[in-house]
Amino acid sequence: MSDPVNPHDDPFREARAKCPVLAAEFQGETIPMILRLKDVRKAAKDHKTYSSDAPIRVPIPSEEDVRTVRQYPLEVDPPVHADYRKVVEPFFLRPKQPEVLEKIHALIDRLLTAACEAEEIDIVKDFAIPLQSHALTYLLNVDEKEAELWISWGIHVFKDGDGQSKGPFMEKYCQEMFEAAEKNPGDDFFSALNQAEFQGRKLTMEERLGYANIAFAGGRDTIIHTVTRIIKYFSDNPKGLECLRENPKMINTAAEEFFRLFIPLTHIGRVCPVKTEVHGHEVEPGGRVSLCWSSANRDPEVFEEPNEVRLDRKPNPHIAFGFGIHNCLGQHHARAIMRGVIERLAQGVSQIEVTEERELIEHESEYSRKVGYEMLRAKFTAK
Amino acid sequence: MAKVTFITTEGEKVVVEDAVGSLMEIAQYNDVEGITGDCGGVCSCSTCHVYVPQEWQEKVGPADDLEKDTLEFNEHHKPNSRLCCQIEMADELDGLEVNVAPSE
Repeated sequence: MSDPVNPHDDPFREARAKCPVLAAEFQGETIPMILRLKDVRKAAKDHKTYSSDAPIRVPIPSEEDVRTVRQYPLEVDPPVHADYRKVVEPFFLRPKQPEVLEKIHALIDRLLTAACEAEEIDIVKDFAIPLQSHALTYLLNVDEKEAELWISWGIHVFKDGDGQSKGPFMEKYCQEMFEAAEKNPGDDFFSALNQAEFQGRKLTMEERLGYANIAFAGGRDTIIHTVTRIIKYFSDNPKGLECLRENPKMINTAAEEFFRLFIPLTHIGRVCPVKTEVHGHEVEPGGRVSLCWSSANRDPEVFEEPNEVRLDRKPNPHIAFGFGIHNCLGQHHARAIMRGVIERLAQGVSQIEVTEERELIEHESEYSRKVGYEMLRAKFTAK
Repeated sequence: MAKVTFITTEGEKVVVEDAVGSLMEIAQYNDVEGITGDCGGVCSCSTCHVYVPQEWQEKVGPADDLEKDTLEFNEHHKPNSRLCCQIEMADELDGLEVNVAPSE
């Protein structure tokens, strides 16, 4: 089953074959992008050379225009990183609990039923965004009604289509949620952070906002785009759906294959505290490198026919959730959602006909890469 | 039918009779502490890391290159490390004992 040909799916192919890094300019800063899987893994494990202790500057481009707080535990290094991560880990493990998983499945069923009953829907706006927002209420253990506001933040909190970042609204909202939880504590994410002990003290409001910032921004566009692209894939390849209906054991391998290929996050940054040579490129102290997950996931040295979708690919040592200590906290949530979407689609939908689409392309100086869809209208036929 | 024993980092023995499937699936199904198998068995996450005792290494076989590459970066990696999602239970492995590696 071949991937639909799209020049923006693997924009690093030529550069990766020629050289382990691609020097690219972002906001006037030249950043070597590490392109091959083994090199990315090695760098992700070496926090002394490639540090995350860089508030606002771990994402590329950096985010000083859209947030004011350091994101925890993403933007800290060991040894303090482990203590920061421990504080929120229990929430991010919740999607493994059978009762939470059941709620996610019921939500997917609800949205799919509505999709089949409607004449046509926009998969992004009417399916993926509500799915992500409602599922996040289960993760954070907050009232499901909160999802309605989060839905209005669009695909990406920091850079949605109307040109206005929702970052400041989100920070204000989170502060209000922490204050409300102080007055009426419960079992939710906000109350837990208010009460958390960190190295023998309470967390500051800035730290709490930093946790909330990534909880809302980090797993948002990533989940939305992956869900949308999976549905688009099955619209183009209905036999894949049939195959999974007959072989439900392949749902896990299919999900991992989609994570590998459809990773919305092109890359992430690290800062070099001292002058560092990165495969022939010199990085000055305080300069950055990029760990290019999306390129590494298509490295032909590791993946046979890397641009081909193989629903039963195994082994599949992708790094769609990063690698090492900073691996994605939301990966259990993402897996629960994608496996659920694939399973429910296979069971309940016979056909998906796309009627209109608008791709979302990330344009940078050295590459243009497809990250998902801004809009994807389709007709669903129930099985 | 084959029997397999998982020995957790706490020293607890989990014995599974009539074991079928990959060792990771067997461990997950029997709630073996320390084997979470997050990626579902595609050799991506190394959360099913075990040590195979010397007497079993020949029968179990070595890791292939992709598995070795994933293991290489694990901080608890040893020469007898395996990702147990890549080990299919079989009759000739009857009586196998593996030690669960510490989590990263």
